[in-house]
Amino acid sequence: MIAQTLDIVTTAAILYAVATGLLLVFGVMKIINFAHGGLMTLGGYAALVTTQAGWNPWLAIPVAALFGGVAGMAIERFVVRPLYARPLDAILATWGLSIIIGQVITIAFGRGVQFTQAPLSGTLDLFGESYSAYRLALVGIAAALGLALTALLQGTRLGLETRAVIMNEDLARGLGINSALVRFLTFTLGAALAGVAGALITPLSSVDPNMGVPWLVNAFMLVLVSGASLLSLLAACLVLGGAQVLVATHFSPVLGGLTIAVLAAVILRIRPKGFARD
Amino acid sequence: MTEARRLSLILAAALLALAAIFAGPTVLDTYSVNVLTRSLLYAAVALTVDLLWGYLGILTFGQSVFFACGAYAAGLVFTHMDFTPGNAALALALGIGAALFTAAIVGWLAFWHGASALYASVITLVLPIVATQLLYSGGTFTGSSSGLSGFTSFDLSTEAWFWLAGSFLVAMTTLAYIVVQSDAGRLLVAVRENEQRCKYLGLNTSRLKIRVYLACAVIGAVAGYIYAAYAMVVAPELAGFVFGTELVIWTALGGRGTLLGPVFGALIVDYESAQLSGNFPFVWQLIIGTVFVLVIVAFPRGLLPMLFDLPRRLLGLLRPRAAVARPARVALATLDAAQTQGAEVGNGPALAVTGVARRFGSLTVLDGIDFKARAGELVSLVGPNGAGKTTLMRCIADGAERSAGTIIVNGHDIGRRPPEACVALGVGRKFQMANVFETLTVAECLQIARARHSRPSLWRRAQRLPLPEAAMHVIATTGLDRQLSTPAHLLSHGLKQALELSMVLALEPRVLLLDEPTAGLTKTERMQIGAILIDLAKKQGLCVLLVEHDLDFVREISSRVIVLHQGRIVLDGSVEEVVASELVKQVYAGSGHAGIAHETAPKTGGQEVPA
Amino acid sequence: MSMPPTSTPPTSMPRMSPHPAPALGVVGLSSGYAGAVVVREVNLAIGAGEILAVLGKNGMGKSTLLKAVMGFLPKMAGSVTIAGTEATRLSPHRVARLGVGYVAQEKALFQDLTVEENLKLAVRGRDFAAALAEVEASFPFLLQRLRQRAGTLSGGEQKMLLMARSLATGARLLLVDEITEGLQPSVIDRLAGVIRSARERHGTTMLLVEQHLPFALAVADRWAVLDRGEIAEAGASIETGARERVLKHLSV
Repeated sequence: MIAQTLDIVTTAAILYAVATGLLLVFGVMKIINFAHGGLMTLGGYAALVTTQAGWNPWLAIPVAALFGGVAGMAIERFVVRPLYARPLDAILATWGLSIIIGQVITIAFGRGVQFTQAPLSGTLDLFGESYSAYRLALVGIAAALGLALTALLQGTRLGLETRAVIMNEDLARGLGINSALVRFLTFTLGAALAGVAGALITPLSSVDPNMGVPWLVNAFMLVLVSGASLLSLLAACLVLGGAQVLVATHFSPVLGGLTIAVLAAVILRIRPKGFARD
Repeated sequence: MTEARRLSLILAAALLALAAIFAGPTVLDTYSVNVLTRSLLYAAVALTVDLLWGYLGILTFGQSVFFACGAYAAGLVFTHMDFTPGNAALALALGIGAALFTAAIVGWLAFWHGASALYASVITLVLPIVATQLLYSGGTFTGSSSGLSGFTSFDLSTEAWFWLAGSFLVAMTTLAYIVVQSDAGRLLVAVRENEQRCKYLGLNTSRLKIRVYLACAVIGAVAGYIYAAYAMVVAPELAGFVFGTELVIWTALGGRGTLLGPVFGALIVDYESAQLSGNFPFVWQLIIGTVFVLVIVAFPRGLLPMLFDLPRRLLGLLRPRAAVARPARVALATLDAAQTQGAEVGNGPALAVTGVARRFGSLTVLDGIDFKARAGELVSLVGPNGAGKTTLMRCIADGAERSAGTIIVNGHDIGRRPPEACVALGVGRKFQMANVFETLTVAECLQIARARHSRPSLWRRAQRLPLPEAAMHVIATTGLDRQLSTPAHLLSHGLKQALELSMVLALEPRVLLLDEPTAGLTKTERMQIGAILIDLAKKQGLCVLLVEHDLDFVREISSRVIVLHQGRIVLDGSVEEVVASELVKQVYAGSGHAGIAHETAPKTGGQEVPA
Repeated sequence: MSMPPTSTPPTSMPRMSPHPAPALGVVGLSSGYAGAVVVREVNLAIGAGEILAVLGKNGMGKSTLLKAVMGFLPKMAGSVTIAGTEATRLSPHRVARLGVGYVAQEKALFQDLTVEENLKLAVRGRDFAAALAEVEASFPFLLQRLRQRAGTLSGGEQKMLLMARSLATGARLLLVDEITEGLQPSVIDRLAGVIRSARERHGTTMLLVEQHLPFALAVADRWAVLDRGEIAEAGASIETGARERVLKHLSV
């Protein structure tokens, strides 16, 4: 019971960390960044490089953010910006970028599965249950990410301008806000967050050139049911992630892997707003 | 070009392609024949992606699943039962049945009234993921991750499989080509261009999308069935997201909306992949990915149209061609008045609006709207911005719009009917901004407006376009009949408005809703439209409801004026009464603001409605 | 663009106006949507500190004119200068940064943001305390409502917040689209007072698109009537018969 609750909480935390970057980009730019999976892979390899260089495994997080952010800048400038008026084409082009990232990594690092060093190993005793310390740490990291993003959006001028662009871009422009710059910065931040997410999940599984792809669809569905709110994303991660854990433990892991996508599709059919408030 | 000549040219091209297919094995080595057999079947699935995405506008990532339906039906039946002709037929039937069943579920989820294009794409994205996971979880029955192999199949030579796959592709491409070029096929483009206008032309677009989707599922399943029978191996990757997106990539590279582009895109990329991936597997994928991104960003139409444009452009550089007006392909004709039945005229008023309200959350845009209008009456709705005029129009044309009240058209309650069903009751709505099919020609736009009355052919193009007298009258007065083969986006603003009006009149409506038909028109054009409207009401007996800001125009044409202000009717009377009303002056001069409904207005005539 | 009174324009440039560049200069401007020309060859020159009311019935191109000046709509022909700076090809945020405050007719507030956030978004390059002082001078009640969501204000209060926001930015030129629409007479009077006082204190130039004739003539120095995208008539507000001349274009 306690183990299952911890599974649900940690799964939701991981999903939250993976989906925030996508949510940010979707909220501001109204496009789905299919390169998110590729950028996560990039973050995973950044973690690999960091640990192979013998650096502290925690350093993997900033390094991955840097990798993702720099790639994000280039992607926004050369691919996403020209497609601003064609959102479905933006999905395709960013998917193409995902392929490119995967192949470049394959050429550089080979096709094989590799492992990184986890910054935390072993287990912690919690409520009489011995549980993976790293998974528990992820809850803290995801919470910190969520809080930092909230602080950025709610507490800074840039965050205020970003929220303004999300709500009504034309009105924001009329007030002198450079919405193109806001979009550029948002995409960069979203890509950096994708990199961080990639670095965070590597100790849980392994690193390979397609590691980000399986996460993409779940993250994408979570974002669609959440609208553009970090809070409803949290709710969606807890509910759908929880459902995933329950289905996986009580029925079959394979069906568990489908739970988020199928539930999200049905939720959107019944209530197009999903978890977002009216 | 006559219709027979056009169709025989298509068939001749198909025969030529078949001849090439039959000659193929004699010039190609065995390895290439083997690889190309697969590519030919993939190309047939890419064709369905193009039909859905390039023509109908539905970006689909899940066509791989239908391919897998056919393939797994063959694999499962041949593995778990004996291979007999009877079982082979059973497998094909099962494959098609499974594909149809899946497509029906997806169609129900993705193409309901009001679903967005993004949502439809999302559903097609979830589909392959669900399908692959189900195949994985099938244990020894589906062979899980390694799939099924080693089953017995038809005993055919490599060449025979190549011929079969090639003939199937040629047949499907020819069929698809004939359909998209036909009158019915044009509906696909119309839905992609402007689904809303299609609904308001009385077309059930959801049903159309589902039908096309089902047909595409069948093509995919048959291709998959042939694939499994030939390759004698099936694997979960066939149903996967990666294969699904590869199909989209081939389609985009070849050129969406061209049919041949995606077919060649699939053939070339898949064949080259097999040739090159042995030596440079990752570099090849990298090149494909890079070219794909480039094409999407810089050449969204794809490579085939570019290839075709190139010689034309080079020629154009040498000798600039004067734009030649294309001769009209379609001859207009006037329908006999006896043939234009319109909707059955019920008893009582043509339009009866009772207690209609429209609220958005806490905001009330319309409240307690009551009025009746007879056939032959021309009623103008006037009022300042935000008075609720357009909202009222919307409530009459779409049963799902209003929050309260009833609307009766020709004696039929519209209930909660969607726009296309309201059209069937006799409602015709012209939008404020000219709302036509921009890439289609004038004649094609008009044909689509008639699709509700005369079922368009799936393989022919009509040479004659009979239109009701009212529509013909507008077309003749404005000179649209001389521009029948002009694409709508090249028309002037006034002609676009006239085109939309003729399209709506082609529906043979009994109640005509016009939202600012003269906005942005020149004086002459306004006079023309005005004369036409008077004629429609007087001679054709239409009930016309008109939103208009131009009060001069209203005065010239209208028999009755309803003044809306802040969501309520403040006055309903004759033109003279409205002109004389102090209340209306106040509404327009701005001194009668929020409090207007509560002020005791001077009784200058007309029935001023107490609030 | 102030010019010292002692300097005289060089005589070698006879075509040059002796006056400083207008706060807003519009020359031969045509604009519209997707091929439909809504505004045709409009010429306007508003001097610094002047208030011009543009009147006309719905659909005559008044809002389109403002959107075209702001750069929200493409200019099919003509040019726009703001205090002498060429602004024809600028994007909306650049126009705003030239010191132009635009109040759209609809959806001009961020409903889900607080009053304070709405103010902050508009104020740039200026101390927020100074901006709040300006709000206090015009609509002091807003200072008590800073934490309230703008969407929860009443219709009249929202319009007052709009006016306060554009004044708080310290904009030199305000483009205001039908601020009086749907308002109570008392609120309209209050807005009129604030507009006049703002002009007196800061010399703010304004272009008011209006349908409310008494308000427009009371506040503006000059008026122009837009009819089917063209300026049909123009005059000064104090001239006798101005009301009748405008009304001729507005009413039935």
